[in-house]
Amino acid sequence: MAVSIEKMGKPAVAITTNKFIEVARTRAKKSGMPNARLVFVPHPVSGKTAAQHLAMVAGKDPATGNPVTQEIVDALSKPLTAEDQKTGFVESKPVPRLIAPETPENLMRIFQASGWTDYLPIVLPTEQKVSDMLKGTSHSPDEVVGKMASGPFEPWQFTVEKVAVNAVMAGAKPDYFPTILAIASSGISSLSNSPDSLVGAVVVNGPVREEIGMNFEIGAMGPFSHATATIGRAWTLISKNLGNAGIVGETYTGSQGNSLNFNNIVIAENEARSPWTPLSVQKGFKPGESVVSIFGGLGIQPGQGAKRGGATGKPAFDQQFSSILDAFTGYFGALIVCDPLVAKGLKAQGYDTKQKLSDWLQKNTQITVADYKEESFVGQFDAPRANKGIEPYASWFQLPASSRIPRFAAASDIDIVVTGGETLAVFQAGNLKYVTSVAVDKWR
Amino acid sequence: MKTGTRLLLAAALLLAALTAAYAQDGKITVLNPKGTPPPIPLVPMAPRPASLDDKTVYFVDIKYEGGASLLRAIMDWFSKNMPSTKLVFREKAGTFEQEDTELWAEIKQKADAVILAVGH
Repeated sequence: MAVSIEKMGKPAVAITTNKFIEVARTRAKKSGMPNARLVFVPHPVSGKTAAQHLAMVAGKDPATGNPVTQEIVDALSKPLTAEDQKTGFVESKPVPRLIAPETPENLMRIFQASGWTDYLPIVLPTEQKVSDMLKGTSHSPDEVVGKMASGPFEPWQFTVEKVAVNAVMAGAKPDYFPTILAIASSGISSLSNSPDSLVGAVVVNGPVREEIGMNFEIGAMGPFSHATATIGRAWTLISKNLGNAGIVGETYTGSQGNSLNFNNIVIAENEARSPWTPLSVQKGFKPGESVVSIFGGLGIQPGQGAKRGGATGKPAFDQQFSSILDAFTGYFGALIVCDPLVAKGLKAQGYDTKQKLSDWLQKNTQITVADYKEESFVGQFDAPRANKGIEPYASWFQLPASSRIPRFAAASDIDIVVTGGETLAVFQAGNLKYVTSVAVDKWR
Repeated sequence: MKTGTRLLLAAALLLAALTAAYAQDGKITVLNPKGTPPPIPLVPMAPRPASLDDKTVYFVDIKYEGGASLLRAIMDWFSKNMPSTKLVFREKAGTFEQEDTELWAEIKQKADAVILAVGH
């Protein structure tokens, strides 16, 4: 923002907290203004009183030790240096295609020290292994697959070969490569820079699931399929190395991190045992097309946490879902992952389509306007929409505090997939937002 | 021995020597997994006024938590210590990552400097 204002010819200074010093400086550099004026106050600012904010302003900038107010005035009135007025390009060193020859042990150390891994052993991407991986697609190695960034940074562009290198590192087989390319081409990083420690999820539909041995029976979401494990892992490595994500303090600020980031949430839908339409068809693809659908959000939890819930279907599963969703933030939407037993029970209850269930959940999972306005995402995202007259937010903000409104703005914010081996009628639910779906077949 | 055969033998011997050398030092070549950062054009900063006295300073809340209150605290300092500076508070529309073109147009027309608070 400060850079946009400077471009208009107006001096600007951005104030943020000292937890984000590296993020702010990185953002300034990647916006083309490495010397953009930044002033820091002690973290956190949120949750403090007006008196505490006055004290912060009267105090010192933790980054420099100078008074905050002096820093602000200097930022806006001190003459610029020659560096501040430079044109050209921010310097970046070209990335060599090959790493200088080394022993495998040293290469493992180099890769880890360089931040290119997930700190687990990798398969070293020799030219032979990468060449073998490239046989998994008809696309040429230098074809651009897409662009990716973990947040408000300039996205990095990457090629088929680069995706292949990271797929090899993850331990994937060439047969998995079209699926991995499809995920990469979405441009969605599995490692968001958000302090919320977000996670990524991918749902796989179509024949590719069986072709490459993805698991959608017992243990569907666990470590029981080589394809499931390595596809998810490849997405993390691609996000780190090709989307420049995961640089702690710069492009990653997740306060606690999330163990799901190692290989993300990877779900192959059990289409044969589901009484409903596959997710990919709901998203507009034809039956029989192989598709990946990308989600992102706060995580996933077991359904046994539902109020009065369990695996017995009492109360009915729709009410159990609603109970779990009641704790979610509407900003991220919901992804409900049902075992086929649960799906069949819901169909017997009258939900002959996923849409009917989403509609019911959207209508019956509610929050008071007072509680809604207290939610942090609402202030940042929904309030600006309400101010612009965008519905339903504009109307919600006009209602009395005690009024009840849907927690999710639309039924389309609630997605349902079916997977599992029917050993127990269980489900999981994620506060995850649907982002996009991508065809796998075009990457074969 | 024919020339072609000699050449073939020489090539085989060379390959054997190289393989032996590799086997001895154990080094291999791998591809770099890192992508290429995009070229980022440098943006020169806007010229600064000699002082903020008698100038109009906009205080822009980009809607991150705590930012508005922090800005008000800074405005309080300005009102006491730089009373000739005109202070204008504005909330940026849109999410915290979105540009507010209407506000930017107002700033371009009326502001001499801008303070943005991110909060957090």
